[in-house]
Amino acid sequence: MAALGARRLLRPGWRWFSEAAPGAPSPPVSPLYPPVVASITAKSKAAKWRRLERFKQRVHAAATVEEKLRLYGKLQRPKYMVYPQTFALNADRWYRSFTKTVFVPGMPPRAAAAKPPVAAAGATPEASRAPEPGAEAPGAAEAQGPAKSTEPAAGVAPYLDVGDLRSLAFDALLQESFYQNKKRPFLYRDQDHTPGPFLTQLVSTLAAFLSGRNPLLAASSLDLKPEVNYYWHHGEEVVVHGHRKGRVDPVRFQIDDNPHLQIRVPEQLPEVVPLESDLGDVPVIDHKPSKLPLFKKQYENKVFIGSKVADPCCYGHTQFHLLPDKLKRERFIRERLEDQIEVVYRSNGIASLFAWTAAQAMYQGFWSEADVTRPFVSQAVVTDGKYFAFFCYQLNTLALTAETIKNNPRKNICWGTDSKPLYDVVEDGKVKGFNDEVLLQLVRFLLNRPRVV
Amino acid sequence: LFPGVRQAQWLTKTKLVEGLPPAVQAIMDNPALGLQELEERVKHAVSHARLWDTAEVAPRREQYCPVLFENLIHICRLMSGKYPSLSKRMLARNCRIAVTWERESILLQVRGLSGILMNSMSPIPPVASQEEILATREHVLETFYPIAPTIDLQEVNVYKELNDTGKSCCFRDGYPYSHPHTLFFLESANVRTNRFRPEQLRAKMLMFAFGNALAKAKALHGNDPKVLEQPIVVQSVGTDGQLFQFMVFQLNTTDLVSNDGVKNLVWIDSDQNLYEKAQCVPEVKKRVVTKPAGIFGFQPDTFKKFLALYLHGTV
Repeated sequence: MAALGARRLLRPGWRWFSEAAPGAPSPPVSPLYPPVVASITAKSKAAKWRRLERFKQRVHAAATVEEKLRLYGKLQRPKYMVYPQTFALNADRWYRSFTKTVFVPGMPPRAAAAKPPVAAAGATPEASRAPEPGAEAPGAAEAQGPAKSTEPAAGVAPYLDVGDLRSLAFDALLQESFYQNKKRPFLYRDQDHTPGPFLTQLVSTLAAFLSGRNPLLAASSLDLKPEVNYYWHHGEEVVVHGHRKGRVDPVRFQIDDNPHLQIRVPEQLPEVVPLESDLGDVPVIDHKPSKLPLFKKQYENKVFIGSKVADPCCYGHTQFHLLPDKLKRERFIRERLEDQIEVVYRSNGIASLFAWTAAQAMYQGFWSEADVTRPFVSQAVVTDGKYFAFFCYQLNTLALTAETIKNNPRKNICWGTDSKPLYDVVEDGKVKGFNDEVLLQLVRFLLNRPRVV
Repeated sequence: LFPGVRQAQWLTKTKLVEGLPPAVQAIMDNPALGLQELEERVKHAVSHARLWDTAEVAPRREQYCPVLFENLIHICRLMSGKYPSLSKRMLARNCRIAVTWERESILLQVRGLSGILMNSMSPIPPVASQEEILATREHVLETFYPIAPTIDLQEVNVYKELNDTGKSCCFRDGYPYSHPHTLFFLESANVRTNRFRPEQLRAKMLMFAFGNALAKAKALHGNDPKVLEQPIVVQSVGTDGQLFQFMVFQLNTTDLVSNDGVKNLVWIDSDQNLYEKAQCVPEVKKRVVTKPAGIFGFQPDTFKKFLALYLHGTV
């Protein structure tokens, strides 16, 4: 007995007071001391890291999107102002490196189901004037005259008459440039005099005309001269002078853009390619951004898509940009910089669309620490009244800060065309050399909508 | 124009009828338009213009008045999905108008920027029937003796009487959208004294509608004063962002020298509120939210009248 008792006493791991039942789990071992973490207020790298973590937790835990945006842009420091419409040489390479964008020339391959394949017929309008026999659209007035293209499968009134579209474009152009008696344009304000009103008229009449086919357009919101702003960090630099000299700071950028016209919709456009696709390389530039030239200023960090967060039309569809007089083609030709003409269009497309899509993503609650889970797609048309260039942008990632970009394989993608003229010249009430392709591309842009699943 | 519409009536030899004409009322009451679904969209349009359009807290009138107008016109234009003939309309901004006429040996002229004009390819059919036109013969224009009817008008030496639509009405010949349809006036000055009072706005609308109609009549029928077989109808909408004034003007005669005979007709629907109040920031009294942010007192009827005037002539 005594030996049994002694063995029980000597068995290791067993307590010898009677409270502990053999099968019960031992109570959780509460830490005897608080966790050892870096201090919040010390002047050390660990303390800075902890402060950053606390800030990120605050933004993650913000209740509403407005609160998130407010906290995101709370700290004001000098930042680079990025202008989408700029005369800087090779600005589009720099902008691509700031926004981690891959540029793919040409338009994205559209799935055939989503668009009326207007180009599938291939023939010129004159050739297809012969009325197609199956062309009875139920009661639709659009079926007056010859039909040109069909919408596969589901269309109720499927035929789109290029003649109608062309006459709309002609009327808008002639009204603004020929029929309406206007005074002479103000100095250096040629763009406000004719191309601006022409663009407004054209887009609003086309959008109204096509709203019967695209229910997204019927629920859209058209804005004239809205504001689009976006603020982000990319890369790191050492502060050069001032009381913060020597500290490592993120490089801050802000885009403040004023497109001529904006169409916002309540539903998102579908993705063009999957989120993780890699279509090219992002240029790496070893110089400081100020070499572009880009200048720093400190002011409010705004993130804005064109209307506040409460608006139901919170996704973007298409934007229209008008190039100012400063950047007209004749100036570049005079200074023997012909290759920079396309650069102007591209940099405008990339910068404006990045700002717009990123601001849309922020309105949905994503930011650089909480990267987007679905791609955001928007379109833009950059024009100077006669030459049109089309761009489509897919935002795959917002994580551009120095630490989040390390393990981020995703890149944003921008498809763009070269600028093509819509017409040659307007004389005596007639438009000469009208280019149907440009108009059809514009119509295709306006008809873009989420695929009906 | 001090006594406002009454003076304008005398100057243009017009008889006033309250309310909108029955043709427009019929469009409004037509259930096929689907006006109920549009209510939601109009509310969004108003909220967008008054609350959401700017990165600041509240947009000012110079900003929200044109934005509200653009949004409403956008909604109206989208109806052309249902009525394809609506695409035969074109908006012209910053239109200048210059028209002269004689009124009891006083030469009068309307000149200036006439707001935003909407033109269409086909004219609006006359709104009043023949009997009503003939009945205006009995109507006596009220005069305000001893105040001369030309009070508050600027006296100018005119060396060239401009009348034809060609040079004065800002469009060249051969313009396909040659019939003026509706004039829009936006009172968007920030300071209240720079804006027109509703009475004066109505008078301004009447004068410009008359001017456009007269210019079109002279272009169609020549300069001789006579009674028109096909009366010309021009509509007019004026707003300051919240109050709307609707007007339909029918020009029956260009014989304006004498005081009797057939008169012109105008239907006016005045002071229609689209919404009572737009609260940008919630009103908080003693830590309790008394009024949340949003639009209060929304009246869909005002938009129905706007849309009916827009669709008039094609439906």
